[in-house]
Amino acid sequence: MSRRFFAADRARDTLRRGPAALGLLLALLLVAVAGAASARAEDSPRSVLLATTTSVQDSGLLEVLLPVFREQTGIRVQAVAVGTGAALRMGTEGNADLLLTHAPEAEKTLLREGVVSERVEIMENYFVLAGPSDDPAGVAQASGVKEALRAIRDQEQPFVSRGDDSGTHKREKALFRDAGIDPDLRWPGLTRTGSGMGISLQVAGQREAYILSDMGTFLAFQARTGLVTLSRREPALRNVYAVLIVNPERFSGVRAKEARKLASFLQGVAAREVMGQFGTERFGRPLFEPLASLPAIAAP
Amino acid sequence: MNELDGLSLLAITLRTLALCGSSLVIALALGVPMGIWLGSRNFPGRRALLGLVNSGMGAPPVVVGLLVAQLFYRSGPLGDLELWYSTQAMVTAQVLIALPLVVALVVAAVASLDADWALQVRSLGIPPLWRHWLLLREIRLGLLAAVIAALGGILSEVGAVMQTGGNLEGETRVLTTAILMYTRMGLFESAYALAAVLLGLMLILAGLLTWVQYGEKR
Repeated sequence: MSRRFFAADRARDTLRRGPAALGLLLALLLVAVAGAASARAEDSPRSVLLATTTSVQDSGLLEVLLPVFREQTGIRVQAVAVGTGAALRMGTEGNADLLLTHAPEAEKTLLREGVVSERVEIMENYFVLAGPSDDPAGVAQASGVKEALRAIRDQEQPFVSRGDDSGTHKREKALFRDAGIDPDLRWPGLTRTGSGMGISLQVAGQREAYILSDMGTFLAFQARTGLVTLSRREPALRNVYAVLIVNPERFSGVRAKEARKLASFLQGVAAREVMGQFGTERFGRPLFEPLASLPAIAAP
Repeated sequence: MNELDGLSLLAITLRTLALCGSSLVIALALGVPMGIWLGSRNFPGRRALLGLVNSGMGAPPVVVGLLVAQLFYRSGPLGDLELWYSTQAMVTAQVLIALPLVVALVVAAVASLDADWALQVRSLGIPPLWRHWLLLREIRLGLLAAVIAALGGILSEVGAVMQTGGNLEGETRVLTTAILMYTRMGLFESAYALAAVLLGLMLILAGLLTWVQYGEKR
């Protein structure tokens, strides 16, 4: 009666192959599940959620620092790279325990509003204004970054903007404002990528455009973009990274004790030593300068 | 020191397979019965449901990821489960992405059966459970297509798993999010290595499908 389904040669062939294929797939999956299960077993119960700027995460610094912290305290740090704008927003909504960002003005506002209970500056470096090596706007000769930006804008030279409300973008806008240029105004030559620093740098490289970048990402992509640094160290380009502890009194879910421990660790001697060295191996120079500063505490 | 090492590559690959495998199993367990039901019954509202499934097939994964991530955030409705940036959140998103694919392909397979097939099986007095088994055998190619489409879809997807998992080292980092991260870091060799593994997995999948189809045609 069921001849129709079982007897035909072609069907039998498939019936032989079908299960074999499925079996292979299942075996593959089983191995994978076993692997994942064994990886899970070592998870420690306590963890803390750190929302961080992409520039720090992408530098690779946290992958060196956080294992040390875990070894010392047993606390697992979940570092999510979301960009400064999104990280601050996550803090405002109580969706993270700590924030690692580089937007001092916005950070101080959160501290004033009591969204975060503590702000600690942990390290700094300098933004760079980069551009094509032939430097058509003569930025290298400018007295400072403000004059450089005015020259780029006045000559309508190509400029690539992050346009994504990241920490670097916030600084870019502030620098334009300080130079007397409306940062929201579009002009020929201006490209807004809305993408991360690496992609933006590559766009700038392709278009031989000027761009403001953090040092780490600039160096990581320099070989690919062919851009050169045209700015010097100046106060306007100082880039300070701070750790913010989300206020546990406002958000009951915040793991304050663990967060405080991580903040102390990042201020400590061991972490500062790692920060001061980091980058030498890949770039021949450190990417960050550790800061020894007292935390600013929110008014009760 | 930040470049990808062999052990991490293996761990990321195994994690990717485990996650996608779990999502696939769940999507099949839910989607196959739904597809058979939708494909073999006629009832008012069936067309509307089919329309919903078909539009679900085109649901942008990045939107699914955005919504699922909001769901699991601390401030979200499921925040108390403490599943933010977890593999569970990732699987939820992947199931939502894969489910419409499975349902739609099963519906198509069931609908393309000979019209008198069901009649014949029923008239032979075969018990219901066996009847369903026969049906599954009959639509095996459609099922296989559903498996491949669903697995291919979630294996190559990056937006949703990035938003729900967060690419956490040793926890939620999968092949696609790791490729994105290493590209962002400018460590292209590591990104290439991960890309090769992902491509390899896809090729194995496609190979399996062709192998089975070849057996069917001969």
